[in-house]
Parts: sequence; C-alpha cells; structure tokens
Amino acid sequence: MTERWQEEPWAQDLWWSGKTTRRRFLGLSAATAAALGATMLVPAPWRKAFGQAKPYKVGIMQPLTGVAAAGGKTALVGSMMAIDRVNKTGGVNGRPLEAIVADYESKPDVGRRKVEKLLVEDQVDVAEGGYLSNVCVACMPVFDEHRTVFMVGVCLDTTITTTKCSRYVFRPFDYAPAQAVAFAPYLVSKLGKKWHIAYLDYAWGQSTRDAYAAEIKKLGGEVVGTTGIPLGTADMTSFLSKISGSFDGFFGIFFGANAVVLATQAYDLGLTKKYRFAGDGAVAESTHLPALGQKVEGFTGINRYIPVLDPPLNTPYHKRFYEEARARLKQIDPSGPDPDRYVQSNFEAINFLKLGMQKSGFRGREDTMKLIEALEGMEVKESDDFPQGDKTLRKEDHQAFIREFIFDIKNNKHRLLEVISKEKTFVPPACSFQKA
Amino acid sequence: MRTQRTGYWVGFVVVLGLLTVAPLVLPEFWRRFVTEILIWGLLAMSSDLLIGYTGMVSFGHSAFFGLGMYGTAAALLALGPPNLWLALSSGLVSAAVVAAFVAYFATRLRDIYFAITTLVFSQIFYVIIFTWTDMTGGENGLTFSQPPFSIPGLGSGRFTPVTLHWFVLGVVTLSYLGLRRITQSPFGMVLQSIRENEARTRAIGYHVERYKIVAVMLSGLFAGLAGVLYAIQNKFAAPDFVLFLVSGEAVIFNVMGGMGTLVGPVAGAAFFLLLREAFSRFFPEYYLIPVGVIFTLMVVFLPQGLLGFLRRRLNA
Repeated sequence: MTERWQEEPWAQDLWWSGKTTRRRFLGLSAATAAALGATMLVPAPWRKAFGQAKPYKVGIMQPLTGVAAAGGKTALVGSMMAIDRVNKTGGVNGRPLEAIVADYESKPDVGRRKVEKLLVEDQVDVAEGGYLSNVCVACMPVFDEHRTVFMVGVCLDTTITTTKCSRYVFRPFDYAPAQAVAFAPYLVSKLGKKWHIAYLDYAWGQSTRDAYAAEIKKLGGEVVGTTGIPLGTADMTSFLSKISGSFDGFFGIFFGANAVVLATQAYDLGLTKKYRFAGDGAVAESTHLPALGQKVEGFTGINRYIPVLDPPLNTPYHKRFYEEARARLKQIDPSGPDPDRYVQSNFEAINFLKLGMQKSGFRGREDTMKLIEALEGMEVKESDDFPQGDKTLRKEDHQAFIREFIFDIKNNKHRLLEVISKEKTFVPPACSFQKA
Repeated sequence: MRTQRTGYWVGFVVVLGLLTVAPLVLPEFWRRFVTEILIWGLLAMSSDLLIGYTGMVSFGHSAFFGLGMYGTAAALLALGPPNLWLALSSGLVSAAVVAAFVAYFATRLRDIYFAITTLVFSQIFYVIIFTWTDMTGGENGLTFSQPPFSIPGLGSGRFTPVTLHWFVLGVVTLSYLGLRRITQSPFGMVLQSIRENEARTRAIGYHVERYKIVAVMLSGLFAGLAGVLYAIQNKFAAPDFVLFLVSGEAVIFNVMGGMGTLVGPVAGAAFFLLLREAFSRFFPEYYLIPVGVIFTLMVVFLPQGLLGFLRRRLNA
C-alpha cells in the first residue's frame, strides 16, 4: 500500500502525473468519444423488455438551459404533472405514457436537432411543449415532414395558427387576437378611451399591439401612441420617459424579466400613477409579484390562468390542480411560487392528447391522421383534465378558444374582476392548411 | 517534403471517402448530424482564415452566416419556382455586401478593438433583423421550401438526406481546397506575415489594410456560404443565427480544433457538437458544465487544439 492513492499501480494510468503526452490525451479522448458514441448509437432494447404494455412515447421539448430556462422548467412541471396523473389513473388505452424530454437550450437550431432526435431516433408517438415561439415556428416543418402531432404548450405567436398553420400542430390555449377581443370592451368602457401602448419590439409584441389597437379602435377608443422597446432592455427609462401627453391608460405588452423592468421603471417615473396601468397578463404573472411588490398594485390585466380560488375558480378540480402544482413548483423553487399559465397550458395540452388518443383508438404514429381528426373540433368541459375551464379546439385552424380572466392586483395578489366566456373570444380563422 | 505531401493527399482522400460513405451507413439522425457538422465546420474554417492565418479574432461571423441564410430565404420566397443556384447566389451576395461593409470599417482597428467592432456590427444586424418583422419575420424568422437540386440542361430532382449530404460535402470540400489555395498563395503568405508582425509587414511595403479588407471579405463570403447551406438544409432563417454567440462558437471550434490548419476547426466543430449532444443526453440540464470543463482542460493541456500538432503537415 502506498500513502497516496495516486501512487497505487492501478491509478498510474489514470492519474495525471505530469506526463501527459499528446498521444495519451488523444487516445483517452478517442476512447471516451467512442464509448459515448456507442451508447448513443445502440438502441435501447431493454426498454421493450420492461412492462407488459408498451408505453406511448411523448416527446417533450422545453428550454431547460439558456435564456428561457426558468420558464421552460416551470412549463415542464405542467407536462410531467399531467403525465404522472394519467399513468396513476390507468394510462391511455391501457398503456402508460413515457415522457422523453429534450432540452433545446433556448436556440432554434438546437430545437430542430432535438425534435429530429425525438422523431427519428426516439420514435415518439406524439410531441408536446415548446416555449419560445421562434423555436416552435422553426420546428413546425419537422413535425409536418415526419407526420407527427405536436401539441403546443406555451408558444404564443399568432402566426402558429394563422399564416403558418399546420395540420399537425395544435394550440390548446388562447392567442392575442382572442385576448384583445375579450379585453378591449373592458378597457374602453371601464378604464378609458385613449391609450398608449408600450410593447416588446419583436414579433409577439408587434402582433399583440396590432390586435389591441384594432379592437380598441373598433369600439370607439383611440391609441394615441405606441412605444416599442427591444427585448432584453435592462434600462427602459430612455423609452418610458418620452411617454407623456393626454391619454387615459398605459398598456404594457411584456413578459418575463422585461415585464418586471417595465412595471418597476414605469412606477418610478410616475406613469402608473398618472395613467391607468393595464396590459397583457404576463406583466403580472404570479412569479413576478414578489419582485414587484407595490409597484404593480392596481395593474389590470387579462390572462387565461390566475392562481385564484374565488368563484368561479373555487372548483374541486382547480383546487387539486393548484395544490399539486404548488407542491411540485416548490421542488424546483423553494420559495414555493403559485402556478402560472405555463404550468396550466402544458398540463392541459397533455390532457388534450390523452383524450384525442382515447377517442381515436390511437396505436402509434401510423394513426396520426385519426388522432388529428379526433382532436379537430374537440369540445372539452371543466374537469380534472381541464381545471381552467371549457374549451373548443377549432377545426379550421387548430386554435383553442377558452374563457379569459380579467383581474387586477390588490395587496400583491390577483383579484378576479370579470370572467369572459369562451364564446365571446372567438375571432374568424385565418388559416388554410396544406394538404396533409 | 514529397512524402509529407503524399501523406497529406492520402489522408485527404481517406477522410473524403469516409464522409462520402457516412450517410449510407449511419442511422437517419446521425446522417443529418454529420451534414450539420460539415456546415458548422465550413463556418469555423472561414473564421480560421482570420483567426489562424491573419491573427484577427472576429465576432462578426454570425452576421455573415445569418445574412447568407436570409439572402437564401429572400430568393426562395420571392422568386418562383425555388431555384438552388439563385438562392445560393442571393445568399452569397448578401453575405458579401455585409462583409464588405464590416471590413471597410473594422479593419481600421486592430486586436481587441477589431474584435469588439465586429461584435458591434453583428449586434446591429441582429437588432435590425429581430425588429424588422415585416421584412425578416422578426423573432420567428422565415420558413420556406427546400429548392430542388438542379443542373441547368440536365434536369432536377428533390434532395434526399443522402444527396443533400453529398451536395454539402462537395461544397465544403471545394471551399476547403479554395481556402487552402488562398492561404498558400503569396496573398496568404502576406496574411500570415501580418499575423506574425504587422508593423514589419507594413514596413516592407505591403498595404496591410487592403490585405485585411480582402481577408475579411473572403472569410465573410465563406461564412455566408455556410449560412446558405444551413438554410437549404433546415428550410428556415432565424435572427438567433446573427447573434454574436454563433461567432463565439466558431471561435471555440477554432480553439478546440487547432487554429491555422483549416481542417482543425472542422474537427473542433465535430468534437464540440458531438460532446454537447452526448452530454445533453445524460445530464439534460447540466451538460454545459462537463463541456466547459473539457474545453478548459483542452486549453490548458492542448493549447494547439486537436490537430494543432499537424499544423505544418496540413499547410505543406
């Protein structure tokens, strides 16, 4: 025995002793690469050997690293919660769901590669997820090419179910035109006629701005000005300080850290005292409230989901969803945030897939067309599967219409002001599918 | 010398042969992956002309790469029916125009100032593309159909993953041979002289700025060509590719593979992408940590990169 393990004979070849030669380094590198490569190339026959019923493989793509990692991890909680619940209650058609999670690093090129891997190598039966709209849009042609259903979990960009719509892609939650139709009457009749819109200056912000501007105008209101602020701007003061004049309300279209910066700096500049402060619900997501404190007090917004247990959200379905989501979120964030719309929409996206697979007698990818037909026009009721409320998954564009919640922030909590039924959010379809 | 050259060409033919056969034997996912490695390798090779041969670190290659993509997208969306060669020309012209613009201003500066200026230019193009939604599709970028492979007068046919791989391999091989010729020409020798001692090169009588401008333009052109290939393979163009992070990855490929070798950066791209793919399968959220550790170890123990020790032979 030697005193130092590095001097043991068995360790001589492994432990760097200052004698690293290029040959040895390259040899070790090649061996490592070969071992890793072999592991990747060899299929996994053991998977088939386990269990009686072959599981349905559900490919889940989320950004677990990179700029959107925080949101991606939250969104994944919703998907996994639904999958675990399905498996605990007997699975789908007697078969369990197996989640295969792919991290796309918040990058569209990696997203495409990961989706290729899910579809080609992992042979998933269906896919779910997405978070960043640009990645969803970039990956949509891959789902078309491999004829596989993709149930979008978060991506908000309007074009996903309009100009770029696909027969294989479904969005089981709302989009900007529907929100604008739902919220504009409240804005114009209860908060003010004249508005200034500040928005994140990129595709989502611009399309949402246009939707609200059109609806406000249609109802006799006026948008007196708009201010585009680049995504990721750390100091918005130079943009916000120019906003002045005679108008009633200041409308913000922001999300994530950008929303926190907007609300903070608009408050500091006195904009939220001088004008009514309203906007997209993403400005005041439950995860932002601790950081914003009283600066977001009085904000009025619209959202598809708010963590409130007051009527009509005091259903046993919502209570169960809320409690389990909180418990799961606490595992990834010890502060124990309330669930947000990302958890809700991914949870319900998996449940839509479950219902579609049950209805169509789905066996695998060979039944994709049957699954699409089962999902098209599907009507679902408020239940444990859909704690947010009733929904219609429209056949013409695969866009869901759901009820919306108008709320304000009081004492740093969401307060429900009005519920807009899904029927009042319908807008005409603007999609023509290519032949599947 | 003659033996070295023979050895080089034998190695070249063997590697080319392996890459030609690869799509016939690899599973579908890996077939596509190897094609992508070749494209990123071309980007890395283009930046090697500046980093390895001229001694100028550029963070503007993402702009050239991205503009190559958007130029291709513009031709495929605006002109019908989609034509491969028009798309390729459009992408190259876009990248060349941007490269000329960047080269004119950036080459007046040296060292870190040159690097920062190229980074600033790539950010400017990124912001323009990201916010000009009506023209560029903004954050979502542009999606389009893949053009068929056509040879004027002989006919055309749809790309399959195998034929696309061979097309990309052909373009990358020709680009490599072209770049090798450039680096071994008297022009290339002046570039290497600038890398070794800029003041002395100027004192000898060479107009250093002009050489640098041409180097940046050539490098940008090949980076744009990589962007064209990527757009054709993936059928989309997105602003993320114009972001300076892509340039940073090209620099990493160079460091890992070996600067001043042309093939080293291709090997670096392959090694990095494989490493990332492998670790991301085992440690989905934390794979960047081992990748970072390996990169650091390579910088410490293998500063010349994977193929740096072959530098002389590869340039023989």
